[in-house]
Amino acid sequence: VIRSLLIANRGEIAVRIIRTCREMGVWTVVAYSEADRGSLPVRMADQAVCVGPAPARDSYLNARNLVTAAVLSRCDAIHPGVGFLAENASFARQVHEAGLVFVGPDPEVIELLGDKIGARRSAAELGLPLIPGSDGPVAAGPESLAMAENIGYPVIVKAAAGGGGKGMRIVRSPADLDEVLKIASHEAERAFADGTLYLERYLENPRHVEVQIVADRRGGIVHLGERDCTVQQNHQKLVEESPSPVVTPELRARMGEDAVKLMRGLGYAGAGTVEFLVKDGRHYFMEVNARVQVEHPVSEMVTGVDIIRQQLVAAGGEPLEVSQAGVRLDGWAMECRINARSAGRVTEFFAPGGFGVRLDTFLHAGCTIPPHYDHLVAKLIVAGKDRAEAIARMSRALDELTIGGIATNLELQRRIIAHPAFRKGAYGTGFIADAFKEGAA
Amino acid sequence: MELKELYQLMDRFEKSGLWELAWRRDKETIRLRKAPVAATSAAPASVATAGLAPSIAVSAPAPAASRTGQGNEIITAPLVGTFYRAPTPDAAPFVEKGDRVKKGQTLCILEAMKLMNEFQAEYDLEIVAVLAENAAMVEFGTPLFEVRKL
Repeated sequence: VIRSLLIANRGEIAVRIIRTCREMGVWTVVAYSEADRGSLPVRMADQAVCVGPAPARDSYLNARNLVTAAVLSRCDAIHPGVGFLAENASFARQVHEAGLVFVGPDPEVIELLGDKIGARRSAAELGLPLIPGSDGPVAAGPESLAMAENIGYPVIVKAAAGGGGKGMRIVRSPADLDEVLKIASHEAERAFADGTLYLERYLENPRHVEVQIVADRRGGIVHLGERDCTVQQNHQKLVEESPSPVVTPELRARMGEDAVKLMRGLGYAGAGTVEFLVKDGRHYFMEVNARVQVEHPVSEMVTGVDIIRQQLVAAGGEPLEVSQAGVRLDGWAMECRINARSAGRVTEFFAPGGFGVRLDTFLHAGCTIPPHYDHLVAKLIVAGKDRAEAIARMSRALDELTIGGIATNLELQRRIIAHPAFRKGAYGTGFIADAFKEGAA
Repeated sequence: MELKELYQLMDRFEKSGLWELAWRRDKETIRLRKAPVAATSAAPASVATAGLAPSIAVSAPAPAASRTGQGNEIITAPLVGTFYRAPTPDAAPFVEKGDRVKKGQTLCILEAMKLMNEFQAEYDLEIVAVLAENAAMVEFGTPLFEVRKL
């Protein structure tokens, strides 16, 4: 059982974790950088430890300081949150070596899933449907040309060490393949210190649908339905909802079974997400995110299951508090990510409220958004009995939300929710690029 | 802040359930921190670090080395760790208040991940005050010594 937890993260996810800990009676220690000294999580946590200066590599990525802080403040476990060290196998290993619990899967599993080629192989072995693609790494040359011909154009070049949309390039003709492979390999080498690439058929304008999994360390594993994260800009998710407007009960059952089969086969523990692309009523395995995700609240809102709580329960060696038979998807939930477009001081802040509205944020009037970190500042989540009600509620809540002093994407979010294609639910991952061609609102 | 107010704050803080209290107005920063209950492992030099004695450091919001009102420098912790003033529990401290220290001389040890990191003076200096408690946890930026450059 986890009684005290070091949170190796910042911003809204740190606040999110503290809230659940408070409800569970878990003592919280938040690690923070000098730039976050006065931040909300630092004020909310039972204890706070400064682990370094503003640049993330010296603070939120400083494994030694984070682990030492956890040991010296007598924590049982470290929660890595999202981003930073959440999918870093070597960090998870250091946490274990210090005698602490890492809230997440085992280092070996993180390692395997971090290699997208390895993840594809595991998925194939376990019988999941894959997007046609290369079995292993590819490099410029005649072999890759033959392979691409076999897969069929357009193809997408991906970095084995990539993920989250980084380092991907689309190739529409064999004439471009060699050139793109060379550039992409160089890019991947620089971004991930690993230039290994692989190929997949590029599906035009698919839906991005992912399945939420929670697993304990006693063989218990359940899926909490799907999330549709098709509304993206530059591969960055902007709006997420559950259920997906394109997933039928039959497809949901198949995707859920596949996701559970994969994660059970991998010996996965904790919260994780299996990402699929859905096209013409079929699903294709894409990758696994070996952590809790930013958009987890939409699944919480339709299932009533606190995912962070299940993470902590599982990490403490206890059985999950929910069984597959007990998971019900009720109504419709939707999330808009509110991103800052400038750093600085928030002069005015008003949080929307009322029936079915949830705001996960670290904002308050007078707080400062440092320029060093991710631009996500708030997640506005609503729940309704159906999609139409969720949209009406989101539209109303977006109108109420007021953030002054910094620039945000609030206006773009209002336009997305108001857009006829969004309201109809008929769009693919190209939606933002097509519907808002004139650029960001 | 008047000394009287400071003493009141210290008393109130000691009674409170808080571990740490930071207070800032204009250029004045006060941080009160209760030392964690002494570690059971080899706690060197039995200085009176007993229980929850609040340790107090008054300084500007300090990066690596900052200036005090008297033109002194504050040396702060460059990493998270346990602060030791002496190489072993029964040895004499590396430095004491009033000591004159040559560049390169060891000031303290910060233990992190079972590694003893020795920290040396970066210039000739005189120790004006030792600001951190022996065997206490220090975080990044915690003031360790007030020193005067020589």
